[in-house]
Amino acid sequence: MKFILTILIFFNFSITKVYAEETRQVDKHEHGLGELNIATEGDVIEFEFMIPGADIVGFEYVAKSDADIAGIKKALQTFENYENIFTLPTNSRCQLTEKQVALKEDEDDHDEHEEHDDHDEHEEHDDHDEHEEHDDHDEHDDHDEHEGHDEHAEENHNEFYAKYSFECGDTKAINKVEFPYFSTFPNSGELEVQFISSIGSVSFEVEAEEPSINIDGKI
Amino acid sequence: MLLKLTFASLYVRLLTISMTVFAISLSLMLYLSVEKLRTSAYTSFTDTISQTDLILGSRTSSIQLLLYSVFRVGNATNNITWESYEEIINKDEVEWSVPISLGDSHKGFRVMGTNLDFFKRYKYRGGQLIEISEGNYFDDLYDVVIGAAVAEKLKYNIGKSIIVSHGIKSFTDHDDQPFKVSGILEKTGTPIDNTVIVSLEAIEAIHVDWSSGAKIPGQETPIEEIRNMDLSAKNITAAFIGVKSKLTIFKLQRWINEYPEEALTSILPGVALHELWRIIGIVENLLLGISIVVIFTTLIGMAAIIFSSLNERRREMAIWRAMGASPNVVIGILMLEAFIISFLSTLLSSILLYILLNILQPWIDDTYGILINIELLSFKDLLIFILFIISAMFVSLIPAIRAYWFSINDGMTIKI
Repeated sequence: MKFILTILIFFNFSITKVYAEETRQVDKHEHGLGELNIATEGDVIEFEFMIPGADIVGFEYVAKSDADIAGIKKALQTFENYENIFTLPTNSRCQLTEKQVALKEDEDDHDEHEEHDDHDEHEEHDDHDEHEEHDDHDEHDDHDEHEGHDEHAEENHNEFYAKYSFECGDTKAINKVEFPYFSTFPNSGELEVQFISSIGSVSFEVEAEEPSINIDGKI
Repeated sequence: MLLKLTFASLYVRLLTISMTVFAISLSLMLYLSVEKLRTSAYTSFTDTISQTDLILGSRTSSIQLLLYSVFRVGNATNNITWESYEEIINKDEVEWSVPISLGDSHKGFRVMGTNLDFFKRYKYRGGQLIEISEGNYFDDLYDVVIGAAVAEKLKYNIGKSIIVSHGIKSFTDHDDQPFKVSGILEKTGTPIDNTVIVSLEAIEAIHVDWSSGAKIPGQETPIEEIRNMDLSAKNITAAFIGVKSKLTIFKLQRWINEYPEEALTSILPGVALHELWRIIGIVENLLLGISIVVIFTTLIGMAAIIFSSLNERRREMAIWRAMGASPNVVIGILMLEAFIISFLSTLLSSILLYILLNILQPWIDDTYGILINIELLSFKDLLIFILFIISAMFVSLIPAIRAYWFSINDGMTIKI
C-alpha cells in the first residue's frame, strides 16, 4: 500500500514536472560518430566538424586532472591547423580565411543540472529520492559524483567543434578531400559527411580504412 | 587459313555451338540488364527532386521524410503546425518555400495540397520545371491539376468532375465537394505523374465537416458557406525549402532540428537519397553478384562443351597434324574458337538487351516509375565484354592443353 502510495505521489510529482517544462528533447550524441558538413558556393568552401569528445581525447567528463586538461589543450591545438584534419588538392589554390575551434560542453545539461528542480526529469525514477537529500547539488562536478554513475560520458557530453572557411582559386579542382583526421586521432570512429554545392547535396560515410571522399564533378 | 578452318569446324558443330552462344548471351544479357536497371533506377531517383535545399517535416527519419514528401511512399507520422512553418520560412536564410499537405487520395492516386509556388519552385531532372500540357493551374477552390499518368490511366480530360476520398485507402469519400480537373501536367517520369494536386485551401475545405478523422454525422456545410470560410491551412505535412546561400544551410538545418516548440526534422534531399541508396545498394550488389556468377558458370559450361568435343575431334586434329600443324597450332585453334564463341555472344547479348529493353521500357516506367534510357553501351560495358572475351579464351586453355597432349601422344594415329 505504501509502495503504491509512493508511486502515486511520485507520479503526480512528475506530471507536474511535465507541465512545468515546455518541450524536452535531447540531441543525439553517438561516440565513434563525428559529423562533418561541407558547403560550397562560388569561391568559398566551408568545413564544419562536430566530433564527440570521446573520439578525440577518449573522455567527456570535465577535465580536472592535469593530464586531461593537457589532452584537451593539445587536441584543440591540433584542430588549429586544419591540415591535421583534412587536406585539399593544391591545384584548387584554397586559402584559409576564417577558422573557429572550440570545445562545446553540453549546455542544456549544464543548465538543468544547476537548476535542481529540472533535474529529475531525465533521471531514473529511483534516483529521485537520493537527489532530494542532496542539497549541495548546484555544482555540476559534484553532481556527477552523487549520481554514482559509472559512465560519466552518459551524463556529461562534450563535443569538439571546428569550422574552417576557405577562398579558393578554383573550387571545381577540389575533386578529393583526404582526412588525416583518422590518423591524427586514433580514437576516432566514423565521419558522417553532408555535402552541398549548387549541383546538389550528397552524403558520405568516411572510415579510417579509406580516409577520403571523392567529390569529383559534384562542385 | 586457320580462321577459315576454325569457322568450318564450328560450322560443322553448328547446333552445339549456337546453343552455347545463346546460353552465354543470355547470361551476359542478364548482367547487362541488371546493370542498366541499377543505373537507371539511381538516376530516376535522384532526378525526382532537384534544386530543393531542404525538406521540412515532423520529427521522423530522414529516409521516411524523403519517401513520403517526394516519392509518395508511406505516410507522415505527424503534421507540422502552420505557426512553426511560418516561423521557419521567415528566417533570413530562407529564400523560398513550398508547403505540401498529404493524406487524401483519389482512386489510389495520392492527393497533394499545395500552392501555386509548387509549379514555380519544384524542379526535377537537373532543374526542369513541371509544365502543364493541357488546361490551367488551379484557380478555383475546387480545381484540381492531375499528373500525366493519372490522366492517362483514368482517361480524364479537362472539366472532368472527380471525388476525393478521405485517407489513402478508405471507403469514405468527400462526395459532398466534387472537384473539377482544370489542368493536366506534362509527363515528368517522377511521382508527380501519379499525383492529384489541389490547393491547400481545398484540403481544408473538404475537411470542414470532419472531426478526428471521421465525418460528423448529419453535418453538411453548404459549399457556398465553405467558400466564404477562412480556409487558410492550419497544418501541413511537409515543405520544400530553398536557401539564399548554400553556406548557411547547415545552420538553418540545425536550427530547425533543435526547434524547441515542435519536434521537426529537416533533411538535405541528396543526403537522404544517398542514405536510402546505401540500403538499396545491398540488394543491388546481390543482383550484380548473381549475374556475375551466372556469367562464370556459362564460361565453365563453354569450356566443358569444348572439352567434351575433344574426343570426337581427335581425328580432326590428327588431320591437322598430318597437314603440318604443330601442337601449338592446335592450342591456337581452340583458343580462336573460344574467341569466336565469346565474341558472337557479346554481339548477340547486346542485340537481345535492346530488344528486351524496348519491350519492357514502357512497362517498367509505368509500374515502377523508373525511366530506362535506351542508349549505346557504356565504356564500362565494353570493358566487361573485353574482360569476358579474355577470360573465355583463358578458360579454353584447359581443354586446349588437353588437346595439345592428345595431339602429341596421338600424332597421326589415334589410339582409342
